[in-house]
Amino acid sequence: MSCDEFNRLASGYVDGELSEAERQRFETHLETCDACRRDLANLRTLTEDLDMMHFKEPGDAELARYWSGVYNRLERNVGWILFSVGAILTLCYGAFKAIEELVRDPNVSALLKVGVCALIAGLVVLFVSLLRERLVVRKVDRYAKEIDR
Amino acid sequence: MDQTETALIQRCQAGDKEAFGPIVRKYAGRAAGAAGVLLGCPHDAQDASQEAFVRAWRNIRRFKPGYPFYPWYAAILRNICRSRLRRRSRRKTVALADGHASPASDGDPVLLAEQDERRQHVYGALLTLKPAFREILVMKHFHDMAYKEMAEALGVPIGTVMSRLHNARQALRKVLEEDGS
Repeated sequence: MSCDEFNRLASGYVDGELSEAERQRFETHLETCDACRRDLANLRTLTEDLDMMHFKEPGDAELARYWSGVYNRLERNVGWILFSVGAILTLCYGAFKAIEELVRDPNVSALLKVGVCALIAGLVVLFVSLLRERLVVRKVDRYAKEIDR
Repeated sequence: MDQTETALIQRCQAGDKEAFGPIVRKYAGRAAGAAGVLLGCPHDAQDASQEAFVRAWRNIRRFKPGYPFYPWYAAILRNICRSRLRRRSRRKTVALADGHASPASDGDPVLLAEQDERRQHVYGALLTLKPAFREILVMKHFHDMAYKEMAEALGVPIGTVMSRLHNARQALRKVLEEDGS
């Protein structure tokens, strides 16, 4: 085994992730190379430092504040959904009435009527296209499985 | 996985929000801490970890009881942190994520690594690494994931996990050496 290969496998060795054959070849090289032994010792020290790292457990007051933040967001989500549904329905109804009035008004020029209709049709096409794109992305998202477990 | 957690998750799946509280409290410190390393910003970390809990709640019915909750949650948290880092780099705002991260401050105890000079030093050095290195070190040392799990989560071969982890550790060692520790 070369020192380069030793270096490539060093983390796997420290983490106990090498196969039996790799481990044996690794240890054989270790017996014969002082530089690699030093590198491995340094790597072990660093790994131990990282393994010792952990986060201070928050106190009761902090946890209560944290949970309250999460809970408020959960509640707010329901509020946002209801608000969005209400806003969409109201806007759609308002837009429908406004267009209906515009189309029936004989004083409004035909060009403006066609323009407004094209504008609405364009918005609908864009919305459907964006919606479809989002749904397709969701289907092929390789991280989606992390939710489905 | 302990029975209490399974029971709590089953209650959550039945829509009981209060049952989610003990789960959030159990993992809050670890979650906010890991997000802190990934994002390099304590306040953003707390917000990201809370957002991840909200997303976990929204998808709780898709979670299979009996599996450990934290690895599932950690995957959601990682995705949120990745999105935030991507948004940051798109905005090209102050690059907290790329070498200019600041260690957690005393004002945010939820996110503090244990008070110990050596650990604080390592923690500070960790925050200066690039996001991909921080991510793999968090997976290994804060989420205790095996190489196989990391490979699945990252969508790369196990050999890539081993070399990326090694490169991350080498980069960290270099930073610590440059700092004289």
